[in-house]
Amino acid sequence: MYRLPLSDIRILDLTTAWAGPYATRLLGDMGAEVIRIESPGNWDVMRSLHLLGRDVERAYNKSAYFNHVNRNKLGCALDLSEARGRELFLRLVARSEAVIESYPAGVMDDLDLSFDVLRQAKRDIILVSMSGHGRDGPDAGHIACGTHAEQMAGLVSLTGYPDRGPHKTGISYGDPVAGTSAAAAVCAALLYRRRTGRGCWVEVAQRESMTNVIGEFFVGFSMNGRQPPLLGNRHRSMAPHGCYPCAGEDRWLAIAVGSDAEFAALCRIMGRPELAADPRFADVVSRCRHQDELDDAISVWARGRTPQEAALALQEAGVAASPVQSVTDLMEDSHLRERRFFERTAHAEAGVWEMDGVPWRLSLTPAHVRLNGPCFAEHNEYVLRHLLGLSDEEVAELERQGVTADAPDEGVYA
Amino acid sequence: MTPETADDLALSGVTVLELGEDVSAPYCGRLLAGYGADVIKVEPLAGDPARRHGPFPYDIPHPEKSALFLYLNTNKKSVTLDFSTASGARLLRRLVEEVDLLVENQPPGHLEGLGLSYRELAHLNPRLLMVSVRPFGEGPYGRWKAANLVSFASGGQMSLTGDPDREPLVNAGHQAEYQAGLNAFAATLTALLGLAVMEVGQHVEVSAMECQACVLEIYLPHYAYTRSDALSGRRGNVTSAVLGLYPCQDGYLGIHATPRQFAALAQAMGREDMLTDERFRDAVSRLLHNDELEAELCAWAATQTREEVHRLAGEFQAPVAPVLNLEEALSSPQMRARRFFQKVDHPLAGQRVYPGPPFRLTDGPPSGGGWRWRAGRAPLLGEHNEEVFGELLGLEGPDLVRLRAAGVV
Repeated sequence: MYRLPLSDIRILDLTTAWAGPYATRLLGDMGAEVIRIESPGNWDVMRSLHLLGRDVERAYNKSAYFNHVNRNKLGCALDLSEARGRELFLRLVARSEAVIESYPAGVMDDLDLSFDVLRQAKRDIILVSMSGHGRDGPDAGHIACGTHAEQMAGLVSLTGYPDRGPHKTGISYGDPVAGTSAAAAVCAALLYRRRTGRGCWVEVAQRESMTNVIGEFFVGFSMNGRQPPLLGNRHRSMAPHGCYPCAGEDRWLAIAVGSDAEFAALCRIMGRPELAADPRFADVVSRCRHQDELDDAISVWARGRTPQEAALALQEAGVAASPVQSVTDLMEDSHLRERRFFERTAHAEAGVWEMDGVPWRLSLTPAHVRLNGPCFAEHNEYVLRHLLGLSDEEVAELERQGVTADAPDEGVYA
Repeated sequence: MTPETADDLALSGVTVLELGEDVSAPYCGRLLAGYGADVIKVEPLAGDPARRHGPFPYDIPHPEKSALFLYLNTNKKSVTLDFSTASGARLLRRLVEEVDLLVENQPPGHLEGLGLSYRELAHLNPRLLMVSVRPFGEGPYGRWKAANLVSFASGGQMSLTGDPDREPLVNAGHQAEYQAGLNAFAATLTALLGLAVMEVGQHVEVSAMECQACVLEIYLPHYAYTRSDALSGRRGNVTSAVLGLYPCQDGYLGIHATPRQFAALAQAMGREDMLTDERFRDAVSRLLHNDELEAELCAWAATQTREEVHRLAGEFQAPVAPVLNLEEALSSPQMRARRFFQKVDHPLAGQRVYPGPPFRLTDGPPSGGGWRWRAGRAPLLGEHNEEVFGELLGLEGPDLVRLRAAGVV
């Protein structure tokens, strides 16, 4: 048995919300020991996003959103704005490989935890700073949630139904893009350190990482100076290419036809072989020109079947197609089930359910959900007593001073 | 940007063979190369299909001028090789012996059919890390075909995107494929770290469907936990009042306020009265009065310009932002101050503008030192045939002529 690739890496996680915690979830999945530090007075807002109602006891430990994004991590309560909390944190830094934070620019300096200070605690420490816009420039002080990155990077201006204008994405897309980039950033810094012996400060600006996933549009703009038109679900050089209504309520099928042969196969499966010979649809140029008629014909066929059976029939004939999978579809999906993608988890406070698994499949070091999302302060003892070697009396004193706690201040709920 | 010496980069000394087409594996390769790896891209004789996708200058297709290809293949070397021939497969095996990493997104089953499976290649190079980027991955859909739209539909994000009275909507560009490529890049770096300890390579598989299913925000977790589908489905441009896109005087603005940011939003709007309004006082009451709050925000947005909203965002640290088009994003003072977009020359496509790295790796304050990122250009088709086959594999001139005549190179 080989150990997970990041088994000997300890990471101190000061991030909140989605982007940063998604980065450390991926690193935790890969075996890193991630210690989430939460302040008793300013704990992660994700703990309050649960829709469970205020009467649920210790709801802050039961947010599915928080528990999914923070699995495979440990949790410790420590207030870094207190001198004693800061001092203990620096002692943890001395025993860690990396610190990752997503505070607005300047907060680490205000806490007197700048890169130089961290470096004094550990010569080759890695600091990964996540921010919306970067730590310098006129927008450095602006905050950015995931949707702001897609708005300011340009993605929203490119997405939408042609007759309705720009459209937002369905998720706070900038967060997982920045988060996955930040997970890569930690690994890149570890590889850099291994080769050079030097620590480093890595910066992940959400707006910049988001720009990376629409990079070709900027190269194209520098060629032609044009803002591309909104295409909806259509494609510049493929037709048919769209999303079609199926039997049932709000059920949809996506089809992308990339060649004449695939179009002929689609027509055969639809029981309309004559369409493949129709001059309106004979080649990609004429199909692009007559897309409306084509879409009507496909919709008539699709309405008679479920998206699953339609996709299967098309795929068997060599045509790219998939149901537009909803979250309920995904959790029942036969492909994901066979791959054992979902993992059953038993959480001490939140109960038993299944969560999405690990998206990277490493053949010799398969990764799984090993640890639940930590209850608030769940691993105080491991961190304070075991790692830092504090006595019971010292921990009790910290609690009296409010530097640590076993429950969060629920006064900051809203 | 200061030129970086090869030795200064995070991935200096890592050698990579990329059998990548279109977007997913090439994006992984772009990031590996940008951060210092030596990436050899193996293209079919007709070139990576991305060379045939635009946009092109003056809309005239040319295999060396595709914006998509130019962007995704910076800093790589290009060789042409038809590895479906026996001679080609032999050359590929010899290349595999020389590298640390193989990154590929070939059609499922294609490499296995040519005797180039991970098992066979690992036999030649036990330390090989092979990274396979797939739309679905091994399993019942393993042989399914995909294009970006189909892949995006399969992972769950499309069901959450679009207006409720219309068909689900795909995001612009190639977002399913980029997500797969970005995940493959991060997974590759993880596996490289593991390699030093294990002393033996492994096979990494990344499924675009799973990468997307892991990032369905609150939607999948909520359903998985409560088995209530109350949050599933598309909600147009306003997910909830405090998370949406609103029309303003000269376009659109975005609002995204977590519970603790609502006060800053109200202040930026000049509406501190909302903070004492029973209906909007806390997160739960705002949810109960969502439509009324949406009406308030909609009315306010209609009086704003994007420039004003951007100023308010700075002044109040308010969770609002303007929707920028490509030209505005390119020329924004922030991007200029950070010198994020870089001009890169190309012998045939000319000088064009390319985004910088997704993260900046520095020895000191990020604005001070170098970024440890290369801002080079994409290769011409087969530009490095002589260098790679000649210098690396030791083939001589006449051998290359023979391979060319046989249609292998």
